Amino acid sequence: MSDYVVQMKGIEKSYGKNEVLHGVDFLLEKGSIHALLGENGTGKTTLMNILTGIIPGNKGEIAVDGRIMQVNGSAVEQSSEIAFIHQELALINDLNVFENLFLGCEIKKSGKLAKKPMYEKAKEILDMMDINLDPKTMVSDLNASYKQVIEIARALMKKAKVIVMDEPTTALTNVEIEHVFKIMNNLREQGVSIIFISHKLNEVVEICDSYTIMRDGCVVQAGKVDGNITEEDLARYMVGKDLNYDELYKARTIGEEILRTENLSRDREFKDINISVGKGEIVGITGLLGDGRFELMSTVYGCNKDYNGKIYLHNMECKMNHVQKAKKAKVAYLPRNRKENGIIKDLSVGENATISIIDKIRKGLFISHKEDRKLVANYVQQLNIKVKDTDDLITSLSGGNQQKVMLARALSSNPELVILDNPTQGVDIGAKLEIYSIIMKLAEQGVSFVVLSSEAHEVLMLCDRIYVMFHGEMRKEFSREEANEEDIMIAATGGTIQEMR
Amino acid sequence: MKAKVKDRDWKKWAGDNSALLAFAALFVLAVILQGRMFLSFNNIINILRNNAVIGIIALGMTLVIITGGIDLSVGSQLAFTGVIIIQVFNQTQSIVLTLAAGVVMALILGSVTGLLVAKFRIPAFITTLGSMSIYRSVAQYWLNGGGLTAAGDKLDSYLSISNSKLFGVIPMPIVVWIVCAVIVYLFAQHTATGRHIYAVGSNQKAAELATVRVVKVKCFAYSILSLLVVIAAIVETSRLGSVNSASSGSSYEMDAIAAAVIGGTSMAGGKGKIGFTVLGTLTLGIINNMMNLMGVNSFLVDAIKGAIIIVAVLLQMVLNGSEK
Repeated sequence: MSDYVVQMKGIEKSYGKNEVLHGVDFLLEKGSIHALLGENGTGKTTLMNILTGIIPGNKGEIAVDGRIMQVNGSAVEQSSEIAFIHQELALINDLNVFENLFLGCEIKKSGKLAKKPMYEKAKEILDMMDINLDPKTMVSDLNASYKQVIEIARALMKKAKVIVMDEPTTALTNVEIEHVFKIMNNLREQGVSIIFISHKLNEVVEICDSYTIMRDGCVVQAGKVDGNITEEDLARYMVGKDLNYDELYKARTIGEEILRTENLSRDREFKDINISVGKGEIVGITGLLGDGRFELMSTVYGCNKDYNGKIYLHNMECKMNHVQKAKKAKVAYLPRNRKENGIIKDLSVGENATISIIDKIRKGLFISHKEDRKLVANYVQQLNIKVKDTDDLITSLSGGNQQKVMLARALSSNPELVILDNPTQGVDIGAKLEIYSIIMKLAEQGVSFVVLSSEAHEVLMLCDRIYVMFHGEMRKEFSREEANEEDIMIAATGGTIQEMR
Repeated sequence: MKAKVKDRDWKKWAGDNSALLAFAALFVLAVILQGRMFLSFNNIINILRNNAVIGIIALGMTLVIITGGIDLSVGSQLAFTGVIIIQVFNQTQSIVLTLAAGVVMALILGSVTGLLVAKFRIPAFITTLGSMSIYRSVAQYWLNGGGLTAAGDKLDSYLSISNSKLFGVIPMPIVVWIVCAVIVYLFAQHTATGRHIYAVGSNQKAAELATVRVVKVKCFAYSILSLLVVIAAIVETSRLGSVNSASSGSSYEMDAIAAAVIGGTSMAGGKGKIGFTVLGTLTLGIINNMMNLMGVNSFLVDAIKGAIIIVAVLLQMVLNGSEK
């Protein structure tokens, strides 16, 4: 019994009529790293929120460290033992490390902040984690992996026995990921248990001891991660069917040039970029944080007026100073960060899909609702969008389905060139594959794509040519044949990996 | 379990339709307190007519608030355009020219506000706070702080705009209000620009990237509001036969904003319904009427009105907050 630090039994939860957890069992061994897997919208986050007391459950039992907890318990009761590190880090950049660690629980001496004891305590914890970092360092000076580490340190300071990490590695580079993994291993040896939520199955195989896989609010598989389990097995359990990435790519003949840039530059963002995209071609641009690929392509889309160099669309020079110019040239854009730049939260699924072309769907002065509905139904069918009623708010959909609606919006204007910025961000494996095959199918029909992605395997799988950027410079161009993950990584880090060897 | 689900559905419905609930509650309260007197045909017509001007302005205010903006200048705009309208009428004695001058005026004022807010990104609150002072000050300068009376051979036909009755029963201001409400409703719900207004208010960045012309949409919203203000100015000046540069339209912006907000329009933008704004206006109207009939000291009327606005919005927030 006492081997398990967390035991959850028969957890049920529903929002309105919508039941999201149907009696979930979850066990976490003491001193282990446990992967919690599943596509978006399967109830992982809900389960963790119930565990940490952020939201109440309807039914079931929870025991943490042998103590029975209320399923509908308050956050205060449980948060001391279980720490939840969210995907979006909650650190304040303008404060230093120890100030961040003690945020909300500052040590005070006669009403004044006692900086010295806080500093020493912070140093102690960082030393315990085997991290060589001065607690006086400003958080804004830290790289992404250290920020993740600071979050872990904050959890440890509260004497958390269980740490829940929600996709901690998405924003990290490979070197940084190794760094975080080292610390996770350290913690495991000290008896801390970690629940690791991730979409990256290779990481799960690498670091986790056991796993639980959820699908549609149920646990479909749980067990140990040992030599017998492979990434493919995990992916199959998650999706419930075999996945085949290899058959995705289809060789095509590339047509005449659609887009070309000549010495395109913008102050402090990117410099002297020359790229070209042919008809029906899928071109990938990858790199690490701060590589300038987003700034580059948003300039091509007409978001920035003040650029130097030239942009040619269909061999005609265009001054791309407004997104309307892009629309006219039949260029469409699927922005990154769906929540900020994509979804219009007060509009319905259908209204979100057709907002770019609604001025064209008319009957006299008014919108032709009949035609609008027909179009939306078409997208729902073509892109396999799972939605009950297209008049429901867009926010009622899961991430993957929201992204498909965004894709529908980008495709609605029948573009010839589509810029996809992080097209599978926060999208589960099943929907990812569907999005990839939609892109491939359209490319076969002659639509050109520029795919911006930080994940090398994504561009490798999809693209005919791959550009790699580093600090606003174009470092390397690979054809599909010569590209591989390692070389891309080397180019993306500006060659530092090679030097390290 | 089941009861809980129902409970939530009810709360969601109540949150979405709080304007209807507030209106119904006050209506019932008025019937209980005043009975026949409140329900009499004359009293109902009175309420409608007395609130037509605010009601017309509130329709446009709702659109502007949905874009995420606000217009504080509508009261002084009413005085400003009222002065111009009567001036033009007195000079030309032509209803057509007077109306044309009003429309041109509205389009100019609305576009300028829209450009300042959307293109130059001055917060709407500040822009219209400034224009509020400008309109009022210029109107008072023209008339030396006094009023202007409509006059001339055609005076009767001008006055008849507001003082005639449809079928001899329904006063014209009410008819104008209803027609405006229907047109603005159709615009908001059934045209592309109407949908763009919601999109811009809900997520401007996303709308812009989806090739919605944000500047154009905002200019449109402010222009429609200005147009409705001109219509309100015509209704008001033709009813009274005069305009006062100091007092005409004074504090109308507050009533129009209150009507929209009681109608459930979100100050954060993206949410709002024209039909509910009409109900919001009527709710305010009933409050006024009730206190009138009950003989509440007129200096206290605003205090009670203010309190009811706060309670209505608080209730909305509580009900909407429970959605999660």
